[in-house]
Amino acid sequence: MKSRSWTIVRYTVAVAVLLVWTFPLLWTVLTSFKTPSEVFTYPPHFFFHPTLENYRQALVGYSSIVPNLGISAVIATSTTVLTMLISIPAAYALARRRFRGRYAVGLYVLTTQMLPPIGLIIPYFLIFNRIGWSDTYQALIAIYLTFAIPFAIWLMISFFEDVPLEMEEAAYLDRCGRFRTLWHVILPQVRGGIMVTLLFVFMSSWNEFLFAIVIGGSHIRTVTAAMYNFISVEQTLWGPLTAAACITMLPVVIVGMLAQKHIVSGLSLGAVKGGGRTR
Amino acid sequence: MIVRAAAPAGLARVRPSRALSEGRFVALLLSPAVLVMFAFTTLPVIYLVWTSLHTLNPAEPYANGFVGASNFVALASDPRFWNALRLTGIYTVSTVILQLVIGLGLALLVTNLGRAAGVLRIAAILPMILAPVVVGLIWRTLLLTPQYGVVDFIGLSLGLGSHNWLGNPTLALVSVIAMHTWQWTPFAFLVFVAALASLPRDPFEAAVIDRANAWQRFRYITLPLIRPAIVIVVILRTIVALCAFEAIFAVTGGGPGTATEILNLYAYNKSFIELSIGYGASIAVVLLAITLILALVLFRLRTARR
Repeated sequence: MKSRSWTIVRYTVAVAVLLVWTFPLLWTVLTSFKTPSEVFTYPPHFFFHPTLENYRQALVGYSSIVPNLGISAVIATSTTVLTMLISIPAAYALARRRFRGRYAVGLYVLTTQMLPPIGLIIPYFLIFNRIGWSDTYQALIAIYLTFAIPFAIWLMISFFEDVPLEMEEAAYLDRCGRFRTLWHVILPQVRGGIMVTLLFVFMSSWNEFLFAIVIGGSHIRTVTAAMYNFISVEQTLWGPLTAAACITMLPVVIVGMLAQKHIVSGLSLGAVKGGGRTR
Repeated sequence: MIVRAAAPAGLARVRPSRALSEGRFVALLLSPAVLVMFAFTTLPVIYLVWTSLHTLNPAEPYANGFVGASNFVALASDPRFWNALRLTGIYTVSTVILQLVIGLGLALLVTNLGRAAGVLRIAAILPMILAPVVVGLIWRTLLLTPQYGVVDFIGLSLGLGSHNWLGNPTLALVSVIAMHTWQWTPFAFLVFVAALASLPRDPFEAAVIDRANAWQRFRYITLPLIRPAIVIVVILRTIVALCAFEAIFAVTGGGPGTATEILNLYAYNKSFIELSIGYGASIAVVLLAITLILALVLFRLRTARR
């Protein structure tokens, strides 16, 4: 009897937590379909006549976020590609090779990953102003690499460590060179890990905000910065703002849900092994 | 598998056929990453430290120049700095403890709950993948605003009365802590679910035979076994809490007054709002030093306890 009521308690708590985790998101989606007067209705309504007006405002007209979506896509994609090209070989070396200074390099990657972004944005702001890079694509991509590379290396290390050693040994016995072994034998084994890392890097670049407003902002305005299109001193346009938020979150949520299993394993793997700062 | 051995001890036994030496191979693999990290991270940090030794204000260029450690001397008698330091401490400690306790509690609660646990695992991803700035805006606009926010409505319905959640200094701090906890507890939860799933069964069966009660089983078997996961959650969440900026920026901007102005926000406000970049840099240097020292201590702890 006791165990049965305990089960009921467990389910109740699980449902409550589920609500707490999903409600803010659901409420945002609901608000994005509300008319301005409906937004301010009190007590809040769950049922109302939905309108698409907010989405029209967010997508068409002078405060449209479509250009910003494009800018964010370019920056996040470039960051991801560069990060993967640089990080995969480094992670492999750190995970699988024995060399002097391995511990030191590992520690270096780790401390680089921990730096609070505010410590980087101040020097970057000064440097980019001096060399005329502020408000450019390359500036934002460069600064995004600062968090993406150490993060990707640390995550990839745990995936490389999972590849059985015998595979490499067999390849070497077959007189397969180091590069060919890495390319043909090892990389196919960590395809899943590469996907997870890629996703995380893309998401964190897509979601980034601090660097985006200080370094970019007027010309190169990422979609997170563009949220502020709808906020001014006089008023905030909650409807279009939530619509823009929904549009911005949509790709991340879709990808996140599709890759749900990989994300969970990536998070716990990275975390369990000591890497992985998600932001 | 929670505790894994460090990387297998290399491949020295089997010699690959190629002429390329091992040293060169490793250098080729590592150098792009190390060079980029050095150029893009280490050099800017050195420049940050250099900047912190200057007065640098684009609005008052005549006063700019090298001032030695005087920014740091000024910090020591700056009440706003000590306030920010105190808030950073409160924010970090409370969010980490909350995430740890709630995450672990929840993970214990849903083990063996079957499908419900699966649904919860999927839902757990949602808060984490959202942009912190969007999370901040959502919380500010839809949940906490008096008169039409949902949290306010729930508070009112429960008889707690209407509160200006972001206007009252204490409530604003509670709100930003709650927000961070909301967004990141799922991380701790997922790690602990994975850790609990990998526990061996035998000790628990033995404990049941020995008539250990649930609390004893948790205290003397589960807890020691998942210690590595706990340590790693504490480390990672501490580091992330120390980096927190975007959600607080969006939700309160550090206000009301300086009630939620943690070091990150203080450095930002000083540098980019008041344009005292040199002084802002010195705040960032302090934060950097705290983060690095804390991280090294925590990691030492981790390897020591293994």
